[in-house]
Amino acid sequence: MLFLALRHLVARKKQTVLTLLGIVFGAMAFVAISGFMLGFQYFLLDQLINNDAHIRISAREDRVDRTIAERDVYGAFSSQALIAWVTEPTGTRSVAKIENPQGWADILKSDPRVEAYSPQFSSQVLFSLGSAAANGRLIGSEPEKQIRVTNIESYIKTGRFNDISTGGNRIIAGTGLLKKLGAADGSTIFVSNGRDKPVPFKVIGTYETGTRQLDDTTAFGALIDVQRLSQQENQINNIAVRLFDFEKSREVAHGWLPTSSDKVESWDEINASFLNVFSIQDATRYLMIAVILLVAGFGIYNILNVVVSQKKKEIAILRSIGFEPSDILKLFFYQGIILGLVGSLVGLLFGYVACIALEHVTFGAGPMGGGVMMKVSFDPMIYVRAFVFGFITSALASLLPARSAGQLTPIEIIRSGAE
Amino acid sequence: MAIEARSISKSFGQPPTKVLHDLSFKIDEGEFVALTGRSGSGKSTLLYLLGALDFPTAGQIFVDEKDIVAMPSKSLHELRNLSMGFVFQSHYLLPELTALENILMPSRKAKSNGVDVRRFEERAISLLVEFGIRDKSGRLPREMSGGEQQRVAIARALVMSPRYLFADEPTGSLDTANGEIVMGLFEKANRESGTAIVLVTHDPGFAARASRQIKLVDGRIVD
Repeated sequence: MLFLALRHLVARKKQTVLTLLGIVFGAMAFVAISGFMLGFQYFLLDQLINNDAHIRISAREDRVDRTIAERDVYGAFSSQALIAWVTEPTGTRSVAKIENPQGWADILKSDPRVEAYSPQFSSQVLFSLGSAAANGRLIGSEPEKQIRVTNIESYIKTGRFNDISTGGNRIIAGTGLLKKLGAADGSTIFVSNGRDKPVPFKVIGTYETGTRQLDDTTAFGALIDVQRLSQQENQINNIAVRLFDFEKSREVAHGWLPTSSDKVESWDEINASFLNVFSIQDATRYLMIAVILLVAGFGIYNILNVVVSQKKKEIAILRSIGFEPSDILKLFFYQGIILGLVGSLVGLLFGYVACIALEHVTFGAGPMGGGVMMKVSFDPMIYVRAFVFGFITSALASLLPARSAGQLTPIEIIRSGAE
Repeated sequence: MAIEARSISKSFGQPPTKVLHDLSFKIDEGEFVALTGRSGSGKSTLLYLLGALDFPTAGQIFVDEKDIVAMPSKSLHELRNLSMGFVFQSHYLLPELTALENILMPSRKAKSNGVDVRRFEERAISLLVEFGIRDKSGRLPREMSGGEQQRVAIARALVMSPRYLFADEPTGSLDTANGEIVMGLFEKANRESGTAIVLVTHDPGFAARASRQIKLVDGRIVD
């Protein structure tokens, strides 16, 4: 029946092309929308996974409340003491820090899942130069360890990340931060921890990740310099960990959680809100594509229904010369399958071309920075899914008319034709 | 004995309207039978019952001593494909296929049932030659005249060398000359190949050329 199905399709060229267009458009939309949305998601995920730690171990900022304050003042007798507070105590305990850095170092060194780790001291500071000031964050780390945990080195615009290793109050600053301060590579800016006198730091390099959140606020310095600035010599408040397999981050983080009272969070837990947005994006994407394919499917369904009613006499003669109901079903089902197959493949090709065109579109100023090329995913799974969805839609849409054609009896058709 | 109808009746609709009343008769191998009668007498209904395109409401029909009502669907389709040919008033050709492809359609089905069909192409061409339409073998139905289309339809019905040919007013939409050609083809198939022919016709002249007439009046056989 394949032979006759092909002849049917070729004979009604206009209908065939119109039906094909529906499937082509559906598959193309799937590829282009998915390519664009997933490209954007992969870009952001890449930023999250590679620009930051897979697992972050951080000091818990113990909030001081009534119970803690009473225990600190009255020790073991606090439960028996009759205390009435005029104003209940609030706040946090001095500077949060990792309680047992050496213990963590031992764990991280011996765990085969860990690729690298970087102890950090991160501090909220005020950067200033002349009358310009900007709030931000100064991250102190050992550069040779830090570059193994994140790919910050690849975003360096001037200088070398390793140059901060020698200490001596030198920093690598985000280009956005320097712009805010009116500073440049080579400038000396002042950094204040909010309690003590501002300390001068020399800018020995710049970086630009494209993420304004980072570029406009953050500078990197040597661990020892930041510890000294915060008067927390030999203390760390963060450990950034990189795993060989980032997908195991949550599992590994949860495994370490009982080890200490420190916070242990995987990258996906830290960025849960981002990932929720991705889920909503995915749902929207699938909904849009479902609607497009549904319309295309209805196109096939309607056209085949019309064709079946137009071809009743032919069905009757085929049945009278020995063709079985299943042959008639195949005749129309094959037409849907061929339309689905050809339409999906052409749609994939057009979708690919559309993705290449999209890739050359640049963003204006926005959260991803200025002049960034649009990120488009060419993940083969997008094409596989587009093909499968297009094909299945066509097959399902053609099944009903094909079944109804198969159920027609020759005598019914002949009699209705005779009327 | 080729075809035997035993007390067959046929009703349609609800409440049932009886179209054929308790008919019993036999058609021998190689016989040329004309079914005659007025419009609405049940000729075509009887033809479709004999050709296993429809089933009687009551009674039995035996083709080669097999009850076609009780026959499994697969065997029934095989019987139609290999042993029966149908010609209708309208040619019912597949408009997408050429004359030769239309003629060979029954052999395509036979091929899917594992029958060696190489000989049928030769047979199709010899039928085209015999029917005087050899030069039309590559033409689509719309490129042929009504008479030529009906000749292609007859060639399709005869390509498998069936034992039975059922024709429902095959000359009904043809002019006298083409009607004559078609009748000549039936007579030739009956005479030379021994194909039993059951012909429904209004034309008394064509009916008279059959070896036997079965006349129906209001669904009953009359002498």
